[in-house]
Amino acid sequence: MNKQQPVTIIMIEDDEGHARLIEKNIRRAGISNDIQHFTDGTTALNYLYNAPDGPNHNGPALILLDLNLPDMSGTDILTRIKSEGSELKRTPVVVLTTTDDKQEIQRCYDLGCNVYITKPVNYESFADAIRQLGLFLSVIQVPDLPEA
Amino acid sequence: MMASWLTSIDISERWFNRLVIGVVTFGFLAVLAAGVAATQAILENERHSFWVNHTYRVEHAVSDYRALIDQAEAARRGYLLRGDAVALSSLDQSTKGVLPALADVRRLTSDNPAQASSIARMEALSRQLLTSFRRSVNFVRLDRRGDAIREFRAPETIMLVRTIHREIATIMERENRLLVDRNAAQEASLRRFFIILAGAGVLLMIVGMASIWMILRYTRDLTFSRNALRTLAANLEGAVGERTEDLQRANEEIQRFAYIVSHDLRAPLVNVMGFTAELEASTAALTKLVDRVEQAEPDELDPEARDAVRIDLPEAIGFIRTSTEKMDRLINAILRLSREGRRPLTAERIDMAALLRGIADTLHHRVAEIGAEIVVAPVLPEIASDRIAVEQIFSNLIENAVKYLTPDRPGRIEVTGRIAGARAVFDVIDNGRGIDPKDHQRIFDLFRRSGVQDQPGVGIGLAHTRTLAYRLGGTIGVESQLDAGATFRVSLPIVFTGEQRPTQ
Repeated sequence: MNKQQPVTIIMIEDDEGHARLIEKNIRRAGISNDIQHFTDGTTALNYLYNAPDGPNHNGPALILLDLNLPDMSGTDILTRIKSEGSELKRTPVVVLTTTDDKQEIQRCYDLGCNVYITKPVNYESFADAIRQLGLFLSVIQVPDLPEA
Repeated sequence: MMASWLTSIDISERWFNRLVIGVVTFGFLAVLAAGVAATQAILENERHSFWVNHTYRVEHAVSDYRALIDQAEAARRGYLLRGDAVALSSLDQSTKGVLPALADVRRLTSDNPAQASSIARMEALSRQLLTSFRRSVNFVRLDRRGDAIREFRAPETIMLVRTIHREIATIMERENRLLVDRNAAQEASLRRFFIILAGAGVLLMIVGMASIWMILRYTRDLTFSRNALRTLAANLEGAVGERTEDLQRANEEIQRFAYIVSHDLRAPLVNVMGFTAELEASTAALTKLVDRVEQAEPDELDPEARDAVRIDLPEAIGFIRTSTEKMDRLINAILRLSREGRRPLTAERIDMAALLRGIADTLHHRVAEIGAEIVVAPVLPEIASDRIAVEQIFSNLIENAVKYLTPDRPGRIEVTGRIAGARAVFDVIDNGRGIDPKDHQRIFDLFRRSGVQDQPGVGIGLAHTRTLAYRLGGTIGVESQLDAGATFRVSLPIVFTGEQRPTQ
C-alpha cells in the first residue's frame, strides 16, 4: 500500500444490502481504507473521472464493480475504465457480482477486469470471499497515477 | 376459405368425372348404334341387290325362251321353204329347248303368283305351238307341203305366236316394273346407309370435339389447381417458417427471462442470507449477555427477553435459512435449465443401444441394491443427434424409473426402440408405482411432482427432459396408471437437422 496516498476503495453496487455486507466483511478483514459507495453507473463514472477528490485527480483507487446496475451494465463501466487512453486504465477492477455465467466471466476478463468474483448465496462463503478479498486488498500494489 | 375452395374443387371434379364418363359412354353407344345401323343397311342393300339380280335373271330366262320360240318359228319357215336337214335339226333343237326354258322361268318366278298364271298360260300355248310345229314337219315328211304351208299360215297358228309374244311382253313388263321398284328400293337403302354413315360421322365428330373440349378444360383446371397448390405450398412453407421463428423467439425470450429472473432473484437472496447470518451473530452476542445477566443478576432478567433470545430468534433464523436455501435450490434449477437451453446442440451419430447400456451400467450398483433390473433391447435404432442432450433425457427417465419403483414387486425397467417414418421412438417402461393420469401433463412442468413425496428432488428432471426433447425436435409423453408402472415415450427425429435459430 502506498503510505503517502492511501488507496480509496470505490464500490459500485446498486444493492444497498450487498454493499453493507461487503463493507462489513472488508472491515472485519481489518481493512480501514476509505470506501466510497455508488449505487448507479453515472454518478460513479462522474466521481471516477471528474470529482476533485476522485481517483482521476487525487490518488490511487481500487474499484469493486457489480455488473447489474440500474442505469448501465457494469461491463460498460469496465469498458470505459479499461479503454485505450483512459486515465484509470491501470486501476485494478474487481468484478463482484451474482452472475457466474461463463461467457460473462470471459467477457469481463477480455475487457481487462483484474479479478472476477461471484457472490455466493451461501453467506458463510460470501463472507469468507469478501474477507479474503480484504486480505488480498491489504497486500495488493496499486499503481500511482501519472502526475496530472 | 381454403376449405370451401377445396370443397368446390372436389364437387366440380366429381361433376366433371361424371360428365366425362357420360359423354364417353354416349359416344361409344352412338358409334355402336351407327355400326349396327350400317350393318343392317348393308344387309338390306345386299337383299335388294339379290332381288334386282333375280329380276335380271328372270328377264334373261324369258329372253332365252322368246329367242327359242322365234328361232323355232324361223326354222319352221326355212324348213317349209327349202325342206333341208339343216333347218330341221335347227327346229328340233329349238323346240327341245322351249319347255325347259319355260320351266326355268317358272322356277325363277315361283314367288310371283301373277307371273305364275301367265306362265301357265304360256305353257299351254307353247305346247299348242310345239304340236303345230310337229304337224308342219309331219306334213313335210309326208310330202303334203300344201297342208304344211296352210298349217303355217293358219290364223290360229299366227294368233298363237302373237299371244305368246304378248304374254312374254306382259311378263317382261311386270319384271321391268319389279326392277324399277327394286332399283328404287336399293337406292333408298343405299341412301339410308349413307345417311346413317354421315350421322355416325357427325356423332363421332361431336364426341371427339366434346372429348377434346373436356380434356382442354380438365387440363386447364389441373394447371390452375397445380398453380394454386404451388402457391399454397409456398405460403405454407412461409407460414411454417414464420411460426417456427415465432416459437424460437418465444423460447429464447423465455430463456432470457429465466436467466434474468434467476439472477435478479439471487441478489435479494444474498441479502436475506447475509443479514440472517448477521442476525445470528448478533443473537450469539445477545445470548452471551443473557447468560451473564442470568448468572449475575437473575432478578434483572426479563423472561420474555430470555425466551426471545434463546428460543424465538434461533427458531425464526432457522426457518429463514431453510426457506432461503430451498429458494436458492429452485433458482439454481431454473438457472441450470436456462443454461441448458442456451447450450448449442450439435448432431453426431449415436449408437443408442450402447448409450443406454452405458446409462444402465452407471445405475447398476443402485439397481442391484434394491433387487431390480434394467433391460436394454439389444438392437435400437441409431440416430444422429446431440449426444449430451440425448444422454440427459434417457438418464433422467431411467433414474426416475429407478427412483419410483414400488417395493411390492421386483423392479424391472425396459428400454425398447423402433423406427417410425423419419423418427425413432424409444420407450422406457417400468413396473413401478405409476402416475395418476390427472398428473400426466403437470409432471412435465417445472417444480411439479406427483404422488407421495417420499423421494428427494425439486421437480425439475422431467421439465428439463421435455425441454431437451423439444430442442432436439422431438416429443415426450407418458402412459401410466397408478400402481401399474409407467411408459415414457420419447420420439426423436432420426437425423437432428439443428435448430433454425432466427437470424438476429
